Amino acid sequence: MEQNEMKDFTELTCTNLMIKLKILLNRTPPGEEIHFFATREQVDNTCTPFTSHGYAVECEQSGENRYIVQIGKK
Amino acid sequence: MTRSSFFFFCEEIQPERLEWLKECLTVPERPPSGPPDDNHRVHCTLYLTGDTLFSLIAPASRQAWDTIAGSAGVEIIADGDELELHGITPLVTSAFPGARIAGGKAAGDSFWHMVISRLALNKEGMRMAGFLLCHGPYISRVPVFALRFLESALLRGISPELYAYLDGVHAVHTGQRPSEFLNIGKEISNLADKAVTSGKDPWFSACSRCSAARGYYLQNPSTGICESSSCISAMTIRNLKEILGRFPYPHPILSHMCGGTAGTSPDESPGLVVFITKTPYYAEWTFGGISLAVAAAMGGIRTTVVFIEQGVYSVVGTHEVSQGDRIFNVQEMIMATGDVPGLNYVAYTPSLDKRNIKIEEMFDMVRPIHGTDLAGIIREQSESNHTRSTRVFLF
Repeated sequence: MEQNEMKDFTELTCTNLMIKLKILLNRTPPGEEIHFFATREQVDNTCTPFTSHGYAVECEQSGENRYIVQIGKK
Repeated sequence: MTRSSFFFFCEEIQPERLEWLKECLTVPERPPSGPPDDNHRVHCTLYLTGDTLFSLIAPASRQAWDTIAGSAGVEIIADGDELELHGITPLVTSAFPGARIAGGKAAGDSFWHMVISRLALNKEGMRMAGFLLCHGPYISRVPVFALRFLESALLRGISPELYAYLDGVHAVHTGQRPSEFLNIGKEISNLADKAVTSGKDPWFSACSRCSAARGYYLQNPSTGICESSSCISAMTIRNLKEILGRFPYPHPILSHMCGGTAGTSPDESPGLVVFITKTPYYAEWTFGGISLAVAAAMGGIRTTVVFIEQGVYSVVGTHEVSQGDRIFNVQEMIMATGDVPGLNYVAYTPSLDKRNIKIEEMFDMVRPIHGTDLAGIIREQSESNHTRSTRVFLF
């Protein structure tokens, strides 16, 4: 599944990451999550705010300023 | 009561653009209550330079220009130096005797001094002036115009600000050595030095996304952090959010095709109107314009995106990006951002009608508008009936 491939979004701006995530989440079937690499700034500014829009966001550090993020419907 | 607005154009203008411009400029103002009143007119100055000047003498544009030039409260100021460069001063002066020529062999202020005097010096306490540069050097004269504007600002004691976006980031490249043209990199550095020497605080920045795409912002493999590469020291690479952080200040910001309205409330930050005028994918204009608009709205700037001219093709049909084609689907961008607070999408009906197309039904967040609505977007009124400041950029 495309959604389950680990995409690298570390070079996207926060605005474009937000747009990208909304597009991907709209396409994601219920019960599935999207996984991707992001920077600390992206996690704080773009990914975490999705929690207030009905999504569960988890992240795990995988390198210096590199995180694996998982977002899915609550 | 009049509202003061301006347009600044330096690229070629097709008759279709003049038609909507004419529509905007000839709509009488709506007084605080009641129907439009001919006594409530707009005062608008059109600053024309570069290839825009050719449209003044193009037969296909003549009728629209005649109407615009004859409208009450509209003033046309043409760049005399550029008219002479192109050898069309006599043609323009005989066609439009009412147009004011600034610079060239005409007496008085140069065109750029007049632009900065009118846009910045009339505003109390104005300390800075900016240029959103979206064109690279040498293929275009827009960087030359940007420098002339900012140099004129500095001469008048105003701090220059340069925001490089899209191909404008090529202006930051070190080692530029044009054999015949003005060295843009060197001139930007000189301008920054002169500003610092005269006690000003120049703010020259290039968008990090655009810089990374073009190889000026590389990721350090050991730290994962991006660092500027091959850039002149006068420019700092910053994310778009930081650059847009300058836009709420009331200073004038020009671009290659832009405009604005001066608000009547000095404390209110200007809103943003982004015109998407080109087809969606051939160049980066549509993506760049929508990205800037979304980022601005997310930064708290009230923003309207207007799909107009060829830009209406963004909201027509269903775009399908083929597998392997790495591109943002513009329609998905619009759909995904329709709920961003402070961001409005509209499409100009005359542009749709001219092409015999309609807004796709799925775009319920895109409101169709007519000519009079367009004037209202550019010269927006608040709920308390005061004129709101707006910045207009054409992408």
